[in-house]
This record gives sequence, C-alpha cells and structure tokens, in this order.
Amino acid sequence: MITLTHFLVVSACIFCIGLYTVLAKRNAIMILVGIELMINAAILNFVAFSKYDKINYGGQVFALFAIVLAAASVAVGLAIILNVYRHYKTINPDNITDLRD
Amino acid sequence: MNYLLNISPIVASMLVVLLPFVAFIIQAILGKKSTSGIFSLVAILLSTILSGVFVFAEVWNGKPLHADYTWFTIGEKTFNIGILLNNMTVLMQFIVCIIALPVHIYSKSYLKGDSGLHRYWMYLSLFCFAMLGLTISKNLLVMYIFWELVGFASYLLIGFWFTKESAVQANKKAFLINRIGDLGFLIGLAILFSTFGTLDLVEIVGKDGLFFQSIIDINSGLITAAGICFFLGAMAKSAQFPLHLWLPDAMEGPTSVSSLIHAATMVAAGVFLLSSIFPLFNGTVLLIIAIIGTITAITSAFFAVAQYDIKKVLAFSTISQLGYMMVAVGIGAWDAAMFHLATHAFFKCLLFLSAGAVIHEMAHLKAHTNLDFDPQDLRNMGGLRQYMPKTFVMMAIASLALAGFPLTSGFLSKDAIVISAFEWAIQQGGLTIVIPIVLVIVSILTAFYIGRLIFKAFFGTLRFDVGDKVHLHEAPKTMLIPMAFLAVCSLFIVFSWNPFSYANAAILNGLVVNYTFPEIHALHTIIPIVLTATALISWVIGYSWYVKGKYPLNANSSWIDFAQNQFDMNEWMMRAFVNPTFKIGKISFWFDKYIVDGIVNGSAYITRQVSALITWIDKYIVDGIVNGVASLAYELGNALRTFQNGRLQSYLGLTMTVVLIGIIYLILK
Repeated sequence: MITLTHFLVVSACIFCIGLYTVLAKRNAIMILVGIELMINAAILNFVAFSKYDKINYGGQVFALFAIVLAAASVAVGLAIILNVYRHYKTINPDNITDLRD
Repeated sequence: MNYLLNISPIVASMLVVLLPFVAFIIQAILGKKSTSGIFSLVAILLSTILSGVFVFAEVWNGKPLHADYTWFTIGEKTFNIGILLNNMTVLMQFIVCIIALPVHIYSKSYLKGDSGLHRYWMYLSLFCFAMLGLTISKNLLVMYIFWELVGFASYLLIGFWFTKESAVQANKKAFLINRIGDLGFLIGLAILFSTFGTLDLVEIVGKDGLFFQSIIDINSGLITAAGICFFLGAMAKSAQFPLHLWLPDAMEGPTSVSSLIHAATMVAAGVFLLSSIFPLFNGTVLLIIAIIGTITAITSAFFAVAQYDIKKVLAFSTISQLGYMMVAVGIGAWDAAMFHLATHAFFKCLLFLSAGAVIHEMAHLKAHTNLDFDPQDLRNMGGLRQYMPKTFVMMAIASLALAGFPLTSGFLSKDAIVISAFEWAIQQGGLTIVIPIVLVIVSILTAFYIGRLIFKAFFGTLRFDVGDKVHLHEAPKTMLIPMAFLAVCSLFIVFSWNPFSYANAAILNGLVVNYTFPEIHALHTIIPIVLTATALISWVIGYSWYVKGKYPLNANSSWIDFAQNQFDMNEWMMRAFVNPTFKIGKISFWFDKYIVDGIVNGSAYITRQVSALITWIDKYIVDGIVNGVASLAYELGNALRTFQNGRLQSYLGLTMTVVLIGIIYLILK
C-alpha cells in the first residue's frame, strides 16, 4: 500500500535534489532544470494531497495550472539566460558577480 | 605798551614760574645743539624782573592776593590749582629768582667746556620752575608736587657728573633720604585732608581759616601727628638731624648747583613749608622742632670744624644754619626764620660761589702742573689771598655775615634768632634755657670754622712749590660780577637801615607774627656784644693756630677723626638701615624665588600633570569608546560584506540556511 508519506518523502527527495542543483551547479541551464525539479516536487505534493478532495479534485486542477506556469517560467528563464549569455559571454553564475558590493 | 605794564601780580607770578619751564622744554628739545644756556639765562632774567617789579613790589605790604583754577573734582571735593601771593610767598619767590640769576651767570663760565652742559641748563631750568612753583602754591597738594619735582631736579643735578661713582651714590642717597621726608609730607597731607576736607592753604591757615575760627582742637593727637609728619618732610628737605646725611654728599654736584640748591634755596624749602603752615603746630610739635633744630645746629657745626674738603665745611655750615632756622620756627619766631633764610641765602650762595672760584683755580693749577692733589682739599690751599684778592674780599664778607659780624646781614638775622630764643626760654623756664645757650656755642663754632676755612685757604703760603710760573689768577668777570652782587646783598643795608638792630628789618616788619614771649631789652644789647666778642676771640685763636702755625692739638686726635667722620653716623645708618634693607631684600628675593615662584611653579606642575592625566583619559577612554564603536561597526561591516559577493547561489544558499534554521527553531519549540 502506497501511503501519503511515501509521496511526501519522494517529493522531499526531488525537492532536495532540485535545491542542490540550484545551489551547486555551474551552469545556468542546470539551475533552471533544478528549479523545474523543485516545482515538480511541489506539484507532486498537490497531487498527493488531492486524495482528500475527491469531489472537486482541486489538487489535480492546481497541478495542471502549476505545470503550465512552470512551462511559462522556463520559457522566460531561458530567454533571460540567452540575454545573459549575450551580455556576459558566459552562463556560469560564479562569473556573474555584478550584485557584489 | 600800557597794557603790558599793567599785568596783574597773579599773571606775573604765573609767568615767573612758567618761563623757566619753557626754557626747560626748549633746552630739552634742542638737546646737545644748545650749550650756551641762553634760554635758561633769558628765562631766569625775565622771571627775576617780573618777580621783582610786578609781583614783589606790588604785593609786598599790600593786600594778599590769591587766585584759583579748578583742577579736578573727586566726589563733592573740588581741587584747585591756586596761586597765593602774600608777603612770605612773594619774598620767597623773589629770593629764589635773585639767587638763581647770579648762579646762572656764574655757571656760564664755571662749567664752560663741560660735555654735559646742555643737560645742566635743562636741569637748572627745571629746578627753577619747580622751586618757583613751590613758593606760590596755594594748594598743598600742588606744593607737594613741586616739592617732589624740586627733589627730582636736585637728584639730577647732584648726579650731573654721573660717570663718577661717588656722585651716583650721592644722588641715590639724597633721593632716598628725601623720600622718607616726602612720605611724612604725604601722610601729613592725608591727615589734613581727612580732618578738614581741603588742602587749601588759605582755607586752613589763612586769616579767617579753620584754625583761627577754633573749629579744630589744635592739641588733638591727629593734629600733632600731622605736624610731626610735615616736620619730617621739612627735616629731610632741610637736612635736619638725623636726616642731614645726604647734604654733605650732595656736594658731589657742580659747585654752582650746590650754591643754588643745596645752600640757598631748595634746602630752605623745609623752613618755608613750616612757616607757611605755622598755625598748624601746637606746643609739642614746636618743642620737637626746636630740639631737633638745636641738635642739628650743634652737631653739624662740630662736624664742620674738622672737615678738610672746602665744600663739606660749607655744607655742614648750611646744615647748622638750617638748624638755626628750625629753632626759630620752633620758638614761634618764624619771621626770624624767614629773615635768616633770606640773609643766609645770599651769603651762603656767595660762600659757595667763592669756593667754586677757588676750586676752579686749584683745578687749573692741577691741570697745568701735572701734580696729583684734590683741588677741594683745604690742606692743599694757602696763600691764595695774593693770587685772588677780589675773591678773598668777597668770601671774607660772606664769612663775616655767616659768623654774624656787625654791619652784615647775618648779624641781624642771627641776633634775631638768638635773642628770640633767649626770650622764649626765659618765658618757658626750666631746661629750655639749654637751647639758646647751645645756639651761642654754635655761633662761636661757626665763627671758628669759617675763620679756619679763610685762614687755611687764603693766608700763609701755597702748600706746593710750583716754581716761578704760578697759574693761579682771579676768576673770570662773569664769575666775579655775580659774586660782587651777592656780596653787596650780604651787607646790612639791603635788609635794614640800622646795622645794629633787627627791629627795623623790612622782612621782619613785613611778616606779622604775634610773639608768645615778652621782649627783654637788656638782651638786645648783651647778646650782640657777646656774640661778636666771642667770634673775634675765636678768630684770634684760629689765626694763631692756622696762620702762625701754633697748632696746639694733636692733628690725629680721635675727636677730630670722629667729627670728620660725622660721629660715624653714615656707617651707623649703613648698619642700622641699609644693611637690614639689603637683608630684607635678600629674604624677600628668596621668598619670592622659592615660595611665591614655588607655589606658582608647583601649581603649574600640578596642572600639567592633571592635564596629562586628562589627556590620557580623553585619548584612551573617551576617544577609545568612540573609536571602539566605530571600529566595531567597521569590523562587523567588513565581516558581513563577504556575504555580499554577488553570487546568486550563495545568496540563495544563505536564504535557505536561514529558513532551515527558522524551521528547526519552530520544530524544537
């Protein structure tokens, strides 16, 4: 029997993997991928918790919305990365330190 | 022209005073360029004429005049600069003029060629200004100012040859001793002002002044103190025992100065002052004045006998005669004092001028023969009668006048004093009879010492063998003419038509004094005869001693040494006053250096240490706090800035860490 806890553990694992990717990768594309992983971990949680709302399937609907939004944000993120690359000739976030004091 | 001849006595007397002052200013401005003294001469000549014609002739035996000009106001008291012209003041002013004029003329030859001549004329004019001002001052404060000026001019003139150490010492001494007297005068002024609220002579001692209205008890202690203070002033100025020590030393000045200032006029200022304020003195003060005068007369006559310096003999003679005048004031016969002052001024001035002529020639002799001797020492003189007959005659006249020989002016004034003293003593009774007897002894001594001077200087033969070429000759005419004038004034006829009685003397009749003692007719015959006879005897003795060479006394006797050294009074004064003063000075210096300076330096040291401490506190504690806060902020900021490294991932990591900490906190709570 697969319980809610299993979903949540898997979701947490995915979230942590995504977080690690965001924090540690030296490539902006991979960071974007990490973000997608974290969004998907969240979507998984929506779906898992939707078993308590079997009448409206609110979780399922919200997951669909989130997927759409994630796709949109990836598009926007990729466009930003493209512009960053044009500007800095690199997409390694370690080399882009203009926010430094 | 008519207008010019009608100047009032007040204006004339002001001009008399101011002319020498103008001469002084001109001489001071011209400085070394003017050595002829023409300004001083003209000034004193004009002063003499003005004083004689427009002041003396107008006021003498006329109505006393006075004028006031407001000087300044303190509170409700107004001080006036006033001029008082009565018989006494115009007489005194005229005497000063008439003595100063011959001395000015005499100085022209006497000091010819002196390198400091321009200073001489300047000082002499200053002196004349001060002395003439002193005589006619109505306000005692103004008189005091002139009194000080006179002392200052005297100081300058005594130290005229200031390169001579002895002259510098002498003028210092004269000035310091006079300060003692001036202090007395000043205290007297203060007492008078606090008692009466005025220093105006007319208001205090005038005919309708405070004293004659018997508002003030004349015998009160305060008035006695004031009288003694004024007398102290007069003592110093008129060289009374024991403040007479400065006068013999003052002979370091030029002889013409000695004759004018230290014989005829300035030293008489004390007597003049006492006569001016005579009503102020009560019986006690008058007795003190008489006693001091007597002591002065006898001691200085005694000193004069043993002196070898021709000027010192005359100096002590002056002190002795001033003692006479003081006695006259003391017995209440201040008219006799003023009379003696007037006659003494002429013959003593003449004595000094003659002595100056002798010294002048002796100095010439010294210069020509290259001998080394003191030109003022009587022992080096002798036989000068042959070389300087005119000087001899004039000096002899002056000497006779000094000794009080009949037909001279001195006879009249001295008899006036001695006879009055006898009358006073007989009326007073008791021990007071000592005073006139001492005066007679002084008179004999006077005849003796002046005879000794004449015999030693003019008789016998010159002490040096100067060979055939004797450079001694008569003094120049500009010196002889003033002397001749003074010689004439030393005769009786100038003062009284009757040579044997002072009762007809114009000066005595002009100064009205109410004697407290009755006249004794017998004395008026006996005293002159006794005085003349004793004088003659003393001359006979002197002649046989000094001219015939039958000197009976041991020349080295301790008495003569003692008298010559003035009873060691100078040394005694040195021990009693000068050395202790030096000691006090040294102690004060020590006190000043170690205590006063010590306190000052100590407090400075403490302040420095305290401020060093405060500096340390300020630097390390106050600044430390401020800097510490600043550096804490800096270090903190510096540490925190490493977080702002511009890397998005580390920002995110930080954020996550904080969120994680927050979650852990929430869980553990």
